[in-house]
Amino acid sequence: MSPRKLLFVAKMTRFARATFTISRYARAAQALGHEVAVFGEESSEFPSVPHSLDVKRFDFAVFVVCDASDFPDLPYLAQLLDAAPKQRRILIDCGGRYNDTVRIEHDFNHLEKIDGHQGWEWIEGFQAVSDKILQPTLKPLRPDVRPFLFHGFDPAEVARPYASAAEAAQAWSSRNGGGERLGVAYAGNNWQRWTQVRKFLEASEPLRKDLGGVRIAGWDWDRRPEWAIQLGIQGVDVDPEWLGQIGVQTQTAVPFDEVTSFLGQARFSPVLHRPLFNELGLVTNRTFQTFCADTIPLLALPEDLVEAIYGPEARLLRVGDDTADRLRDMMRRPEPYWEAVLKTRQYLAQHHSFERRFQELSAILES
Amino acid sequence: MKVLFVMDRRNDAGSIQAVANYIRAGEELGHTLAVYGREEAGFPGVRFSLEAGAFDYAVFVFESKLRWMSGVQLAPVLSAIPRIRRAVLDADGMYNQRITLDDYDRNHASEQDRREWVAHCDRLAERILQPTLSPREARVRPLLFYGYDPDSRVRPAPEKQADIVLVAHNWWRWRELSERLLPAIEGIRSRLDGIRFVGAWWDGAPPWAGYLGLEQAFSVDPERLRRLRIHVADPVPYTEVIQTMSQGRLNIMTQRPLLRALGFVTSKYFEIFCADTVPLVMIPPEQAEMVYGPAGRELSLHEGMAEKLLDVLARPARYRELVEQVRRRLAERHSYRQRVIELAAALEA
Repeated sequence: MSPRKLLFVAKMTRFARATFTISRYARAAQALGHEVAVFGEESSEFPSVPHSLDVKRFDFAVFVVCDASDFPDLPYLAQLLDAAPKQRRILIDCGGRYNDTVRIEHDFNHLEKIDGHQGWEWIEGFQAVSDKILQPTLKPLRPDVRPFLFHGFDPAEVARPYASAAEAAQAWSSRNGGGERLGVAYAGNNWQRWTQVRKFLEASEPLRKDLGGVRIAGWDWDRRPEWAIQLGIQGVDVDPEWLGQIGVQTQTAVPFDEVTSFLGQARFSPVLHRPLFNELGLVTNRTFQTFCADTIPLLALPEDLVEAIYGPEARLLRVGDDTADRLRDMMRRPEPYWEAVLKTRQYLAQHHSFERRFQELSAILES
Repeated sequence: MKVLFVMDRRNDAGSIQAVANYIRAGEELGHTLAVYGREEAGFPGVRFSLEAGAFDYAVFVFESKLRWMSGVQLAPVLSAIPRIRRAVLDADGMYNQRITLDDYDRNHASEQDRREWVAHCDRLAERILQPTLSPREARVRPLLFYGYDPDSRVRPAPEKQADIVLVAHNWWRWRELSERLLPAIEGIRSRLDGIRFVGAWWDGAPPWAGYLGLEQAFSVDPERLRRLRIHVADPVPYTEVIQTMSQGRLNIMTQRPLLRALGFVTSKYFEIFCADTVPLVMIPPEQAEMVYGPAGRELSLHEGMAEKLLDVLARPARYRELVEQVRRRLAERHSYRQRVIELAAALEA
């Protein structure tokens, strides 16, 4: 593959969106002899991610859209679209906006009340940017969307690469640095996740004494924000009183480069996707990043997605209606579960590394 | 020629009435003009289109807001129409040096705001147009943009419901009204019949004014208006403006100080002469003459306001004749057909 120069167009923030993924593309590009930068002025917040405004120097502009604000403001948008012709632009639709309106529970792909965009505006906007629209799902709904998982697994990010399941299980079962280890850590902003978080906490409640503390990090877990009340948006529901009663600690969001260590403070870390994402089969950076942490990931995801993304060994890590029994068994005999974690890590490294993603993306760009 | 207007769609403010006229007049001349967007109720006479690629030029109509479109919404236009074929109509004089008048009206709150506006417009479009005959910036091309539509005249005239009507939003107007017009009215209130102010924010500033640092723009004393028995009413859509004006024996046109200082014309300059009323324009006589001709001087409400108001009500026939003279001049020099030709020339220049 000849060297590629890719300019990612996305709003970088330390606490949300695809920042971790993009930072890993930058790293992988360097290792593979390619070049990746983010469109914009150099930022001290992201020293490891090069930035550039020199659009013409790049082969392709890769729009990564989670929210409307991922599109740059003027004058930058005009500069970008004028300098990179359409055939040199590609768009990754991380939130399934490029679909008819889909509603699952109270989760939507088009939330006009919040961002002021009707469904057709997303479609028109995306089609204007590129003829190649990708979604991080294996089964896009629209025929003109190509599947491209985008997010990936970075083996170098694995906090403790155990040699064997026995070693992992032993380390996992022992006390952590002399202090009591957390039972569960979850990192994610409170957006369309409350139903699942509540279900998980209720299911694990009988084990709380044995399990240890629970900590949730992210925006808006301490109270339902005023804007959500005013707009009547249910996706930011939370019951802080109940969380307090059952001893769950909440804290503010963790920066993208500290998530792995945050999750590693606990023995378990659930992987939850928004209802919309479950429906559309969309993956996120947390889908993969959780396997880098020194924790047992609990896959609260649809069965077919678990198999398709993580491989057959990950089935053991899936939790559903049997959450309490499964947790009890994991604490009683952790080794088989760590075996599943380590094998899944291998599977992810083989099938979902950022090097692999880079090759897949290059193939799409060349097609 | 095919021209796509890209604008904040508000049916009771801004330039929508003018654009509806461009669409109609353009069609008569064999041009296709439309507003970017999906068909929407509440905009009769406005053609909408999403097919940006089918147009030769895009004209972005900028008023007081810089970011009224997100990147998602802008991308289809920017992708389809290159910069060389894009123009900005700067309706509020933002593409200028920073101007503050009497520590009151202003175009930009800070130098940084100004730089942002200018950079925004420069990157967006090859041409910057302003509705004035004398732009201050070298890069700006004059284009009066707003015009007169003789066919919009109200016939038959509705029954008069007030002596004085003012159709405008309370946006940078209070100082002039409170210091000049209201004192004049106070002195003669007992000799006047009803007075109506029709528009937004005459009953108070919007809740977000302070947040945007725009308290002064919306300042108003509703109690003073009540004492003067001035009835305030909600804004009306652009399709009802002329009809509403026609309910008054005389109508007053005010202009925010900034636009007056820049010599800008607005939709109201011409719209008010379509109404069945006697327009009195609160601009200096020489400026009134420049736009309206010699008769315009007589319709300038500048000095001796109280006497002028009473004179119009006392001698309506005389003023109706002056209004007719102005209408003839506007039809001759400022019709929308003429404006379409001027716009085409400006875009192709």
